[in-house]
Amino acid sequence: MKTPTRQPIVVSDIADSRKPEAVASEQARWLQETYRPGLPGDGERLPFVTDIGLPVHPLYTPADLEERNFDYLRDLGFPGEYPFTRGDAPAMYRAEPFVISAYSGFGDAHICNQRFKALIELGAEQILVANDLPTQCGYDSDHEMSAGEVGQVGVAIDTLADMEQLFEGIPLDSLKRVGTLCNSLGPIALALFAALGEKQGVDWSRYVVSLQNDPLKEYIARGTQILPPEPAARLAADAVEWCIDHAPHWSPMTVCVNHINSGGAGSSQGTAIALSNAIHYIELLLGRGRSIDEVAPLLHMFPDERHDFFVTVANLRALRRVWARLMKERYGATRSEAMALRTTVYGHGQEALPEPLNNIARTAFGTLAYALGGASYVYIACYDEAVSTPNMQSAQVALRTQQIIAYEHGFSATIDPLGGSYFVESLTVQVEEQILATLGKIEEAGGALRVIDQGIGRRIMTEGAVRRQRAVDSGERPWVTVNLWPQVPNVPNTAFRIDPAATERQLARLAEVKATRDEQRVRTALSRIARACAEGSNTQPGVLEAVRAYATVGEICDVWREQFGSFTPSTEF
Amino acid sequence: MAKIGLDGHDVGARVVARGLMDAGMEVIYTGLRRRPEQVVTAAIEEDVDWIGVSILSGAHRVLLPRLRQLLDEHGADEIRILAGGVIPQEDIPELEAAGVAKIFLSGTSIAEIVDYLTTTTSGDRVAE
Repeated sequence: MKTPTRQPIVVSDIADSRKPEAVASEQARWLQETYRPGLPGDGERLPFVTDIGLPVHPLYTPADLEERNFDYLRDLGFPGEYPFTRGDAPAMYRAEPFVISAYSGFGDAHICNQRFKALIELGAEQILVANDLPTQCGYDSDHEMSAGEVGQVGVAIDTLADMEQLFEGIPLDSLKRVGTLCNSLGPIALALFAALGEKQGVDWSRYVVSLQNDPLKEYIARGTQILPPEPAARLAADAVEWCIDHAPHWSPMTVCVNHINSGGAGSSQGTAIALSNAIHYIELLLGRGRSIDEVAPLLHMFPDERHDFFVTVANLRALRRVWARLMKERYGATRSEAMALRTTVYGHGQEALPEPLNNIARTAFGTLAYALGGASYVYIACYDEAVSTPNMQSAQVALRTQQIIAYEHGFSATIDPLGGSYFVESLTVQVEEQILATLGKIEEAGGALRVIDQGIGRRIMTEGAVRRQRAVDSGERPWVTVNLWPQVPNVPNTAFRIDPAATERQLARLAEVKATRDEQRVRTALSRIARACAEGSNTQPGVLEAVRAYATVGEICDVWREQFGSFTPSTEF
Repeated sequence: MAKIGLDGHDVGARVVARGLMDAGMEVIYTGLRRRPEQVVTAAIEEDVDWIGVSILSGAHRVLLPRLRQLLDEHGADEIRILAGGVIPQEDIPELEAAGVAKIFLSGTSIAEIVDYLTTTTSGDRVAE
């Protein structure tokens, strides 16, 4: 039998196809001649607008990059190099995948310690302590405002004794990083972790403390503010400044977009507000004679975008670029560490109350987007987190999901895998423009403090929240089990319950500490804090001394309240 | 509309307050971190029909019955309580028995709340 001869496949050149305008005109032709006739009579299925208000086109091509004046070397460069768009570190996940992190806390230190040990056993590399609301708002567990709240949304911490119990059998240097949010308690949280290292005999150089310590955000979203904004920011800067001298490898401040976005601002406006907060803290520290190369490496950011997968990737990339340019061009940073922005993220989706197991899929995709965007420290919401403190099973699924994203599917094989996507690069430019536009408006209005006291932040948030609610109510933003295949919301009876004995144990431990500590030493340390507040010197050494003497969180906050006055909540809506 | 206890998440409270106002109701918002005593005083002074409490911190089992008890002690038994937020199913009968008129969980549409208030309240003030 004779083998038939077959024609080779010939690729014929198209005249002018390498000219940018050739693609643009072909793209317009395709839309007209091929795409539109392919649509049903009533047109596209949805308006296809992202949560941040950007329309999403049916297709992206090199013409979109051309239109946005995209320049590879100027706008992207290489990982670990200016402007850090493709990654803050040279080798990114090829050296080590993102740090697998867990945010956890409930009840008292005794039961919470057991949960921490279980999480570490499962592979958690960083623990961020979730504190209960009395702790975060600066009230001791025995204060009247703490009724019903002790140990509810996090673990109760009144004194260093609770920290010793919380990390019993967990040397601080056995974790890659350890810390907490405590946005309104920055210096106290820092002191608790510094003093705990002393108690454990672990030198400060051998572990890394990571704090959120971003009080300005609390006035706009989340609401654990204690003092007026200005002194609150000053105290936060005290913690950072102390670290510059004593623990420059720590992360004493994570400037946070998370709650600002989720509360309604949207990720671009939220990023701009957070950047203006970062600028406020940075300028406070520069004003104390510190240099940008000393200050910036100690700060990192907590970006957030939960609605649109590709916007999440674009947001991280755009934020790294904006940060690098801000540090270099405005503040004259010269050290790479001062320009390379590290990011903490918390994988979410639009978690729903009906059928909570579906939230595993949502949070996995949300987390994947952050990983593809090159996040440094990754947390993930547990599937029952919208309902209650996560139970052990949901916490385990969450950690395993992070590990799967870090090690399976080849997600972490190459750096910035979506870089160069016509769509993602277009979005990255657009997101960057949105961030800079809002930041410009904020700076024109006078910066971060004006966002709070002129109600700018609150207005942005409320408008956004109302817009989102309408988009869900109208079906414009599809949401499975809520507006598609709707189900009755149901908070299941299996919701995690705090053992009431935990509150009793907490109150007993607090009473015991107060009865046995050196009262004179406590008083001396508290007056040292008061003096530093009044003189305008750094409060951190006094706070550290008070914490070592087993002063309570509430007692230290009371000194601050006496010195600076208390925050007054707004009744606007 | 009230936030009692230390829970600082008030987006839900504000969005519902807006929605009710848009539906033609008069709404007063207490702001964050009020004690039940403060809310009761404000409610009586302002002569409200309903107190809407948004609570997501898990403190509902202590704070909601306390609010009802204080209202009754002040002779304001005609003021009804509506609660919204993250509240487990099994707590609902207990809270209803303690005098909370209605509980809406997160994810409820504004229209549903407006509908409930209009239906339940019509014939009260309107008839007076």
